[in-house]
Amino acid sequence: MANPPTEDAIVIQDVVKNFRKRTIRGEYTTFKSELVRWLRGNRVSKQGRFIESLRGVNLRIPRGQTVAILGRNGSGKSTLLKLITGIYAPTSGTITVNGRVSALLDLGAGFHPDFSGRENILINGIILGMSRAEVRAKMDAIIAFSELGEFIDEPVRTYSSGMYMRLAFSVATHVDPDILIIDEILAVGDEHFSKKSMAKMTEFKRLGKTIVLVTHDMATVERWCDQAAWLDGGRIRRMGTPAEISAEYRQAVSLAEARSTVFTPPALTEGGGALPGLPEGPPVTDAPKPVPQVAVSRVWLTGPRGEELGTIAPETRAEVCIDYVAREAVEDVEFVLTLASADGPVLYATSTRTDRVPLPTPLPPQGRLRFVLPRVGLLGGAYVLSVELKTGNNANPEAGREARCTFSVSTEHDDRGVFRPEHAWVVDEAPAAPVQAVSVPKHAAAS
Amino acid sequence: MIRNFRELYSYRGLLLSLVQRELKARYRGSVLGFFWTFLNPTLHMLVYTLLFSVFMKNQIPNYAYFLFVGLLPWTWFSTSISAGASSISDRRDLMTKVRFPAQVLPATVVATNFCNFIFSLPLMVVLGLFFGVVPSWHILAFPVVVLVQMCFTFAVVYAVSAFNVTFRDLQHIVMNLMMLWFFVTPVLYKLSTIPEAYRRVLQVINPMSILITSYQAMFYEHRLPDAVPLVSLLGVSLCLLWGATQIFESRREEFAESI
Repeated sequence: MANPPTEDAIVIQDVVKNFRKRTIRGEYTTFKSELVRWLRGNRVSKQGRFIESLRGVNLRIPRGQTVAILGRNGSGKSTLLKLITGIYAPTSGTITVNGRVSALLDLGAGFHPDFSGRENILINGIILGMSRAEVRAKMDAIIAFSELGEFIDEPVRTYSSGMYMRLAFSVATHVDPDILIIDEILAVGDEHFSKKSMAKMTEFKRLGKTIVLVTHDMATVERWCDQAAWLDGGRIRRMGTPAEISAEYRQAVSLAEARSTVFTPPALTEGGGALPGLPEGPPVTDAPKPVPQVAVSRVWLTGPRGEELGTIAPETRAEVCIDYVAREAVEDVEFVLTLASADGPVLYATSTRTDRVPLPTPLPPQGRLRFVLPRVGLLGGAYVLSVELKTGNNANPEAGREARCTFSVSTEHDDRGVFRPEHAWVVDEAPAAPVQAVSVPKHAAAS
Repeated sequence: MIRNFRELYSYRGLLLSLVQRELKARYRGSVLGFFWTFLNPTLHMLVYTLLFSVFMKNQIPNYAYFLFVGLLPWTWFSTSISAGASSISDRRDLMTKVRFPAQVLPATVVATNFCNFIFSLPLMVVLGLFFGVVPSWHILAFPVVVLVQMCFTFAVVYAVSAFNVTFRDLQHIVMNLMMLWFFVTPVLYKLSTIPEAYRRVLQVINPMSILITSYQAMFYEHRLPDAVPLVSLLGVSLCLLWGATQIFESRREEFAESI
């Protein structure tokens, strides 16, 4: 390649994309309509004819990373993907793409219902950027992956929708691009097939391909992505780790819901319809705010050897460390600890008062609480830990403020549910005595 | 223009596959299959022969063959234009979902109809033999005439398909214009039957009349086509093609948004 080697697969600079209003309203211009307008002497005013979809996006996507783009419906995600793919041209700004791009924006582009699966693979593959020889060489692999069996020689119109999607997905994933662009289509087919497609995605990641993904499924984002970018009101609002961004995004959405903001199409709304800003809480990082009497300055998770962790296994020991700062002698303080899964539901909440923890009175100017978990006991996924500080006299301006940290549990177990109780299975030869439960799960906490 | 065609060449695999598919699709699911290629022009020919030779007592010898010589290239041209007009605006699935070279679509239409034209040539020759007309060496000029028609057709299709994206009723207007165009082109009649005064005008404003008379010269009259109009038409077609590709390229970025 002639370009100097860069670390970034995609560089987007100040990209603005406007659409003519008529294309959004869905009216086509015809000679007739133009003639009628001209006869009536109507001139369409220059302003208000355009809709700003993207208002200056800056984004760098490093090579080999999987980046999720989050945002509300209509916040410009798909437009951005189409710009990267080259379907649209930016109104202003530049997009540099280093490598061969394959876009899974829509499955089955150019499928012809009267043709057999095999013939459609050829056409579709070529449309997606493979050469004829390439498609022929991969034909068997594609057919095998689609699991269509002898249906491959039947016309596509006889396929069920699942079969159709499977075929289309198989072709799309065999293109072998440097950069893969995916718009909401990971969930294809039944559970078995979607596992397979997930495995294919993992393979892509392992091969060091760059993946740009748009999805509303936060679990996917947190499980798959190295980074997340939050597109809001036509701009990149934040970029960071998936857990951080998705938690913040969720908060903003629920805040907007709480304020009963009307969810209009963002591009049509004044100011781009951005979600409300979050109150400037002290999030993950420390930096104690000025003048609070007492504040939780930092919450983090440590592993079995006391090291700070972002990802933890379910069977290990963990501690939640809570650093606090007290400016004045405060009495009657309560720390409330809440564990929630990243998509919202609270799993457990307790406080120093509930557990009757003897806190020193008055609180020393600086200190640390440790919440010790002998065993994590959670399922795989992303979680949010938040610690809220309450004082009895409520004079504390920082009271009610919380500090939080996110972490994820990674596991090779395939168990489901809410939590992972300590358990063991016992196989007896014959039920001799009345069955005795040996370390069988106690009652689920959820009930 | 060069860039446009170089790009088209680089997508030849795609073009080839699409043409193949169009050809297959046309005949798939019909009992007569491939014979539709022959059947369509034959039926046209029979209707016109009945009308002009039997009812209206036309004086042209071997009228059916004469008609066929003009009708085949005309069909190539007219079907390319009327199908090409909506070739881009009808393929929203391709234009908005994948990065797709837009000029392949009109090119596919022209190429597909060109194939149909070529496939039906044997039928024309057989019909000529039936009337006792044996092809002479003059048909060596055939590729030249085809090339000129190809350039001209491409120019018109590019322009029409690009405009049709923004002005959707263009395709219907084009359909009607093609009908009109057919009757001012000497397919059903000889150019010589037109009064002298109009003949020049018609030849100048209607490039198709030059092309059709060239085919008739080669296959029916056994002489070489008139070089001057043909060569000047080639020049004009290249200019038109240049203009059309300019228009096409300038509007191309809007296609995906306007469809």
